[in-house]
Amino acid sequence: MTMFHFFNCAILTFGPHAVYYSATPLSEYDTLGTSVKAALVYLGTALVKLVCLATFLKVSENDGFDPYQELLKAVIGFIDVAGLYFALTQLTHRNISQNHKFQAVGLGWAFADSVLHRLAPLWVGARGLEFTWDFILQGLEANANLVLSISLAALGSLMWLRKNKPKTLIPIIYACAGIVATMPSITSYLRRGLGWHFPKVVGFELFTSLSMAFISWQLFSACQRPSS
Amino acid sequence: MANSKKPGGLREMLESMYSVIALLFILVACVELCDAAAAFDVYRLIQYDMSGSPFGSRFAALNHHAASLHFPPGVDLSRTVLIIPLRELNITFVREYINQKKPLGGLLVLLPEVLSFKTGGNNQVHEKEKMKNLLAELERLLIHSNIPYPVYFAFENDEIDTALADIKKNDLMGQPATATTGGYKFVIPTAEPKKVASPTMTNIQGWLSGLKTDGDANQLPTIAIVASYDTFGAAPALSVGSDSNGSGIVALLEISRLFSLLYSNPKTRGRYNLLFGLTSGGPYNYNGTQKWLRSFDQRLRESIDYAICLNSIGSWDNELWIHVSKPPENAYIKQIFEGLSNVAEELDLKVGLKHKKINISNPRVAWEHEQFSRLRVTAATLSELSVTPELLESTGGLFDTRQYVNETAIVRGVKLVAESLARHIYGHQGKNIQIFADESSLAVNPAYIRSWLDVLSQTPRVAPFLSKDDPFVMALKKELAGHVDEVNVQHETLEGIFTFYDSTSARLNIYQVASVTFDLLLLLVLGSYLIVLFSFLVITTRGLDDLISLFRRPPSRKLKTA
Repeated sequence: MTMFHFFNCAILTFGPHAVYYSATPLSEYDTLGTSVKAALVYLGTALVKLVCLATFLKVSENDGFDPYQELLKAVIGFIDVAGLYFALTQLTHRNISQNHKFQAVGLGWAFADSVLHRLAPLWVGARGLEFTWDFILQGLEANANLVLSISLAALGSLMWLRKNKPKTLIPIIYACAGIVATMPSITSYLRRGLGWHFPKVVGFELFTSLSMAFISWQLFSACQRPSS
Repeated sequence: MANSKKPGGLREMLESMYSVIALLFILVACVELCDAAAAFDVYRLIQYDMSGSPFGSRFAALNHHAASLHFPPGVDLSRTVLIIPLRELNITFVREYINQKKPLGGLLVLLPEVLSFKTGGNNQVHEKEKMKNLLAELERLLIHSNIPYPVYFAFENDEIDTALADIKKNDLMGQPATATTGGYKFVIPTAEPKKVASPTMTNIQGWLSGLKTDGDANQLPTIAIVASYDTFGAAPALSVGSDSNGSGIVALLEISRLFSLLYSNPKTRGRYNLLFGLTSGGPYNYNGTQKWLRSFDQRLRESIDYAICLNSIGSWDNELWIHVSKPPENAYIKQIFEGLSNVAEELDLKVGLKHKKINISNPRVAWEHEQFSRLRVTAATLSELSVTPELLESTGGLFDTRQYVNETAIVRGVKLVAESLARHIYGHQGKNIQIFADESSLAVNPAYIRSWLDVLSQTPRVAPFLSKDDPFVMALKKELAGHVDEVNVQHETLEGIFTFYDSTSARLNIYQVASVTFDLLLLLVLGSYLIVLFSFLVITTRGLDDLISLFRRPPSRKLKTA
């Protein structure tokens, strides 16, 4: 029954992306090209990050939390944001409304992230006889990541694509974008510095992703009102 | 459960190696990596045919759920492995299971770690006698039964103890592990056991020439000292036979060393040749000894005055036995016995004489000297065993480990044999002269005995599984060559009524598995989650009408075509 378990974990990890694409109007407007391009941009930024990490990062023997290393990792993590900026602004999209653009980009981004980080461990580990909860938790993490990516893309589109924003909301937008961008550092601090177990970390990720999604949705609709 | 650090560590690795992931992906699709909770060595029960009848465990591969002795009564165990630690073993229970041919998926007996020659060390065994008797009985039962499922032995360690505690807990709750209820799965991935083709027996003989003066036209008389070195037990990978017959081998090596010291100087070289024989095929009616003797030419055989066979002289207190097949009234037997008794008296120990007539028509050869007697050579076996052993009994079984051997007993045995031999060779019978006195240069060396005993107690020596150029056999040959003039090695095939099968040890993997119901339940939960997510997204982005219209379209199409 191990292929069964692999299949279960796979639909948990990758199913929501497909469901999101087919359920929202994205499928009607055929934004698959945008998602694919966003996924390729993610590949590119991951390669750049890899090179930077390999050059600047020291490999530590113990698994503790080293603030300097984590700061360095966070700075390199901003390359992610740069990549997202590139995907949102520089890629030529067909006439898609802003509403759908950020969703497509976020979806492509999250799908590439899931495939790169979670497919290989899933294939290697979930097919064995030994049962662990890890792969189910990893799938939940993938879901949280999807929501986070879409909210980050939304905030990014607000920051760079929308020209007229209410003055009061700008700092909030930047603050929320900052929080979402540094999510990886926060989770690694929780796992290593505070020693949280994997289920707890995943729960935290799910909670923050939902709250961040709600906040960014509110911000987006708030910014939309003056123009409409 | 796997620790939670594993995904984190793997993630770090991926972050720095993503470009290799694609390649790894393709490779990994073909390779199945090991991911068991625990893996350790297990040793299989011997599988052999005797005169065509099958004995022992007939299967090697295992892939079943595990249960302990607390299984709920009446449950079907034909696809379950039963795990029994030795201290909970009830012989009558096992005997009932085997004799009534009750179906079982497999049997795993856990031996206490102290018996392991790899990790047990020299710790003392608690309740020695009880454990010895239990193991002997278990071994006797298993060797002489035909068991249609795999039987394995393993040593207790932390991993299997925790797994067993878990299994017991589940069993007590009335939930034996099956495909639908999860639990532990024991997997031993090994091939079907095959017959050992032409197993070899290797006899090693060492020749120490006596002093030939010019006047001696005839050949000098010879005295033979023989010990068989191979073992047979329930678990061939564990049959080290420290007492049967490690003690005999060690004693033979020490005697050869002492006499090589004496014979190295022509002034002290005796007028007897000494023939040392390390024979194989002991448990199988001393087949090797028979072939070895048959290979002698007539003159040599006739020149043998007498032969002393050593068999299990490692764990006795005060009494040794001399087993003969010629009647005690025979002059030669009397001479041998008197020689040994005189020395025994001085060493403060007793020797008794036991006479067992040989029946030429009976192929059963219980003692090594009987093979000599069948060829009209006077011989006797020196042993601590007073009762004649049955076939495949006292041949180095599960309980015959280092802790059960006493090296002082071997030292005394060596003194006894060497002293009586020397008195016969140099003609000092009846005189109170100690040739191998303690503190002299010819003293028996306990350190030598101890080191060889330790080596032997870590080497399983079941003959069909020793190849022609097995390193241990070569080491024995080399050691004997250092003490004698000439060493010869004779290879014979172990034919006759025995056939052996390979696969004596394997690796056991323990997996903690989830049941099928769990997977189905998970599928159900995930399916409903995805459906809920889908409906939620459709409702929020397109509106409720769209969701309902999704389900209304097919019927309207049907109406159109109709």
